[in-house]
Amino acid sequence: MSFDLGNSKMSDTAAIEAENLTKIYRDSIRAVDGISFSVKQGEIFGLLGPNGAGKTTTIKMMITLTRLTSGKLHILGVDVSEHPQEVREMLGYVPQSISVDVDLTAYENLLIFAKLSYVNKKERNERIRNALEYMDLSERANDLVKRYSGGMMRRLEIAQALVNRPKILLLDEPSIGLDPSSRKQVWKSIKQLNQEFGTTILITTHDMSEADELCDRIAIMSEGKIAILGTPMDLKRDVGGDIITANLGSPCSVVSFPKEVGQIINNNEKSIQILTTNGEEAIPLIADFFRSHGIKVESISINKANLDDVFMKYAKRRLGNNVYKNIRSTRRDFTRHSR
Amino acid sequence: MNVTRFIKSSITVAEMEARKIRHDSAELWTRAIQPALWLLIFGETFNAIRAMPTGNFSYMQFITPGILAQSVLFISIFYGITVVWERDVGIITKLLSTPSPRSSIVLGKSLAASLRGVFQALMIFALALLLGVKIRFDLPDILGVFAVVVLFAMCFSSLSMLLASYMKTRDRMMGIGQALTMPLFFASNAIYPISIMPIWLQYVSIANPLSYVVDAIRSMLLEGTYQNLPVDILALLVFTTIFVTLASRTIKKLLE
Repeated sequence: MSFDLGNSKMSDTAAIEAENLTKIYRDSIRAVDGISFSVKQGEIFGLLGPNGAGKTTTIKMMITLTRLTSGKLHILGVDVSEHPQEVREMLGYVPQSISVDVDLTAYENLLIFAKLSYVNKKERNERIRNALEYMDLSERANDLVKRYSGGMMRRLEIAQALVNRPKILLLDEPSIGLDPSSRKQVWKSIKQLNQEFGTTILITTHDMSEADELCDRIAIMSEGKIAILGTPMDLKRDVGGDIITANLGSPCSVVSFPKEVGQIINNNEKSIQILTTNGEEAIPLIADFFRSHGIKVESISINKANLDDVFMKYAKRRLGNNVYKNIRSTRRDFTRHSR
Repeated sequence: MNVTRFIKSSITVAEMEARKIRHDSAELWTRAIQPALWLLIFGETFNAIRAMPTGNFSYMQFITPGILAQSVLFISIFYGITVVWERDVGIITKLLSTPSPRSSIVLGKSLAASLRGVFQALMIFALALLLGVKIRFDLPDILGVFAVVVLFAMCFSSLSMLLASYMKTRDRMMGIGQALTMPLFFASNAIYPISIMPIWLQYVSIANPLSYVVDAIRSMLLEGTYQNLPVDILALLVFTTIFVTLASRTIKKLLE
């Protein structure tokens, strides 16, 4: 199966370029409030945020299902307001809720969609066959979709978005409502698409592990604005790094570690918690430190910073910083008690 | 706009409906029950009591084109409900996210409604044959009837889609549909001649598009005269174009 990678002359154009993008609904709710970001070609870009943050509205403006109120939005250099049809031709879109026609077979769903996307008649059947194979649906291609499981419908949905060989794939919460194994399968196909065919992928989710697993870069949205944008690594570093808990054989009154190791955030004599930027590297240093002070270490555990922390920090910021702090300390307590 | 692409997309949307009907045609048959009952109960009764001044024709002859038009009206005026339902299950989102022009999607949907209208017409022809109603079964007349049925269904289903983009829910569409079908049907020449109506109602029925449709079908099936036909068809074409154009602009509202 081969995908067009688009015109090579366009390779330095941004796949998606949003500039002060704003959507105000009629009831004057600012669903998207002046966001600017740029997605590079070949990138997997994640749009994260709690429900109602404006992720879906942003995607809908891209696929021209809703008109932007102000600002600019270009897809591979094409203005969405001026040439909506041209834009839709370059995009594949998988909406949040199932939108395949359950009264048709999988093959028919793809056929109709291919026709509406003006896929050349000669290539049509082969593309449909390829998309079905790719999404592992060939065997049940002629079954009515209403007999499919949720995971299969999702895969069909992605297959449908693939028949017109999109340069950019927009996935709105692709793994919502899927069991863990179907989710893994969907993730695999997303990665494969990106790696094998260079398809640019924009994905919205509120599942942090999904974003961590898939995305090259992430923007966290909150109340219509982008709260922070960066690589998953950057963002995790931003929330302060990993927490290491050392349980000691005898009480210890050490006050501080060398700076390169980390900072003590909690010390109740037999259990010490240290905040570090890189937990894996800090563990041997900490072990050495106690050994050189003649203190027996019973166990050392590490609690890696994850995107949930980033999410909580930025997505709920307006509820006050306390929320975030509480979450962090709850996690520490949990770590402590789970021993 | 690229005309070939436009037509292709419209036909594809209608094809989608045809394929669904092929998988499950139960709805078509259940839809035939009501017109059958109108003919069997209402038609036969009034035929027997000869209460209606229907001129040279029996009441059964008179009412058959009326019931044909009525059943197509019902299908098309409630077509917006189908579209609202398709919005709820995401199909409209999917259709509108394709590169096809929106007007071709709306036109295709109205063609889909007319496909159902054609099935209704077939059922009623079959029923008329069964009941021995004397109608003209000449090929040009039959083809003419089908042409009127197709246009009529397109016209009213696109009106229904236009309304649906504002009404947005099935319940409201149900209410609107019922509010519309009642006066359209009873203030027309479908089941009694206009001449027996009170004067004010006669004016209403002259403004009622259903009267023209019934008139066109009746002239082909009973009289074999065609002088009104060009006007009837032209009027339907004009209204269909207007409604399809308006509905393609508004259909996006369904998603908001």
